[in-house]
Parts: sequence; C-alpha cells; structure tokens
Amino acid sequence: MATQSLEIGWLDDREAVTVAELCRACALSAGELQELVDYGVLVPLREAASEMRFSAAWVMPLRRAARLRSDFDLDLYAVSLLLRCMERIEGLESELQSMRARFSSS
Amino acid sequence: MKYKDYYDVLGVPRDANLDQIKKAYRKLARENHPDVSKAKGGEARFKEVAEAYATLKDPEKRKAFDELGRRPAGEEFAPPPQWEQHFGKREGGFGDIDLEELLSSLGRGRPGAQRAARPAPGRDYETTVSLSLEDAHRGTTVNLEVGEGPGARTLEVTIPPGVSDGQKLRLKGKGGPGRNGGEAGDIYLHLTLAPHPVFRADRQDLYFDLALAPWEAALGAELEVPTLDGPVVLTVPAGTRSGRKLRLRGRGLGREQRGDLYAVAVIDVPGTVSDAERDLYRQLATVSNFNPRGGGTGGQHGNAKP
Repeated sequence: MATQSLEIGWLDDREAVTVAELCRACALSAGELQELVDYGVLVPLREAASEMRFSAAWVMPLRRAARLRSDFDLDLYAVSLLLRCMERIEGLESELQSMRARFSSS
Repeated sequence: MKYKDYYDVLGVPRDANLDQIKKAYRKLARENHPDVSKAKGGEARFKEVAEAYATLKDPEKRKAFDELGRRPAGEEFAPPPQWEQHFGKREGGFGDIDLEELLSSLGRGRPGAQRAARPAPGRDYETTVSLSLEDAHRGTTVNLEVGEGPGARTLEVTIPPGVSDGQKLRLKGKGGPGRNGGEAGDIYLHLTLAPHPVFRADRQDLYFDLALAPWEAALGAELEVPTLDGPVVLTVPAGTRSGRKLRLRGRGLGREQRGDLYAVAVIDVPGTVSDAERDLYRQLATVSNFNPRGGGTGGQHGNAKP
C-alpha cells in the first residue's frame, strides 16, 4: 500500500479553529455555537483578529457533547451543562492520573 | 427487505404516545450509549434503539412503518403498494434496501435517486489508538481501518515521536468522501498510552519506583536505573527517605521540550534475615537514636516514643 502523506492537526491549545471549522467538526450551526458562547461555557480566543476563533482543544469535547445532544434529544442549554461537567471530569481524571503516577504503587 | 419491530425494540405498545416513546428511548439510550454506559454490546444495542426511535418519533415515518402491520422480526416482506407514494417507484422493487435506509430517506426524496445536488460533507471517523510508551517516545506508524464495505481502506498514520497520553489529533480530509462536491470527512484520533511495567506517565513526566535497601538509602549509592533511552547511573544521596523523588532532567516524554523522569525511592527490607544480619540490625537498633515517628533525628510524623 502506498503511504499517503497526512496533514496531522493537534487538537490542543497550540492550534486554533474558526467558527466554520468548529461548526463543521461538531455538526452545530453558527447560531448554536454563539449560544454556547453566550452561556459562557465556550470561550473564544482573545485575539485582535475580527473573526472569532477557538482553541482546537474545544473540538473533541464539543463533538462529544453535540453527539450526546443528538442521541439523547437534549436542548442546547443541557449541552452547555454537559460541557462544564465534562471539563470537570477531565480535570479530575487528569489529577487522579498525576497522583497515581507520582506516588509509589507499592 | 427484512422486517424490524421498532415497538418491540423500544418495549412500548403500538399505540404509545410520543412521550412514552421518548421516555422508553431515553431509558434504553442511558443504559446502552457508549459514552455513558459500559454495558457489554451496548453500542450495537444503542444503534438498534436509536434506529427505532428515529422512526417512531417522526409521525410520517411512524405512519409508513405502521402500514406494514405487525410481523415477526427478521421476516422478509414486500412493502405495501402505498409506499410507492412515499418513496417513489423503484426499479427492482424494495428488496435490496434496508428498512432503516428507506425510512430515513422519507421526506428527502427517493433513496438512491439523484437528489438536488446539495454538497454534503463526508463521514467523520473517531477512534482510540493505544500506544506503548516506547512507541510514543520514538514515534511509530499505525494502520487504521477506515470505512465499511467496498469503500474500506487502510490508512497508514505516522505518529511523531514524543506524544503523551490523552493527546488528540485530526487527519483532515481522510474520512469518508463528500457528496456532490462536499468536503471529505475527517479522522479524529485519541491517543492513549498503554500501562507500562516500569514507568508511570503524568503528562510529559515519567515516574518509576526505585527500590532501595535500608543501607543504600542511609549511606547513598550509585545505581543503574532504566530510562526510555537505555540505562543510566543515578546517584542516590545519603539520607534518602522513602517517597523522595530523584529527578533525571529531560528523560521524560515530549517533542520540543522533554519532560523529566523521577525515581521514587521505596525503601525495602528483606523478608527474612540471616543470624548475622539480625545481629547487625540489633546492634544498629541499640546504637541509633533515630525514631521514624518523630522526636529523634529526622523523624517525620507520629508521636515520639521513648
């Protein structure tokens, strides 16, 4: 099989995505994205550029929350709560992993 | 076409109202959704439940489904003549079409027929790739199976050296092909590190337990220890207490800037001792004024005992 050259994009704070990209990745409309920004849960990058952009770290959690929204028939406000909870869970999981790594297992 | 009983799948009566249907769906979705449940076979069951709900929550699709009457699940059937009004006349009939595909096409024109040429993006794929710590450190190639059926292909993805646990990446345009000029889908990868027999990862830092004999901890020692790049000599300072972390700078994970490697001191004692060792320990106990429970020379916690 021929090896294809692939454009790898890291989905973390080192990269930014536009509204259109985030909408496409998460199957949300620009209006829905704006609503999540209005709820204060989705935070755009503080940039001088006129076009609103977001950290690429939002892509995966937002995709997941949007998927749960569609699968469970949730409204957008529930998605904003979900995002907050998911953020908290991820933080706690990462803290737990840190503790497990730092302290002797024996 | 094979019959599926969507009412049975959701466990609701055939005259259930929308609220009952929604309630039944939410309960089953909660029990089986792969994001919120660890139930075995949950994903397949969830798909079945979601398919049933997609039809029964939509009055038009539900009506079309009800026109089939009640049949045993899996029974081959010929759709009723009025379906041609819903779905259009198909050459060769409906035999080769899945019930889900047919019902989901309702209101969007005839399945398989040329619809208005609206660009539609291709399907995204999301998957988790587990890497060994060594592969994450050195970089590796993984083969991803993408797509189903005749469109299935294998994609070779080069993972650059130095990735850490939980990193996520996107392969743009490598998902399913777009339709009518729409963009191709993307592939989303979650990278996880498989547990390692020696090292524990915390983001870019690595930790391992360094077992020390009491005299090594008390007197200090030069010991050969493992790193991802091969063994190195570590100087254990005299008076190393249990739990102390000895840092090997820049021996962790990472790309531009590597994390550190920490040896966590774990002081061990032999399970059984020889007569000579016992004598020496007794001698030490007599000579030493160290009290690990506080009060002596360097005790950490607990109450002092005389």
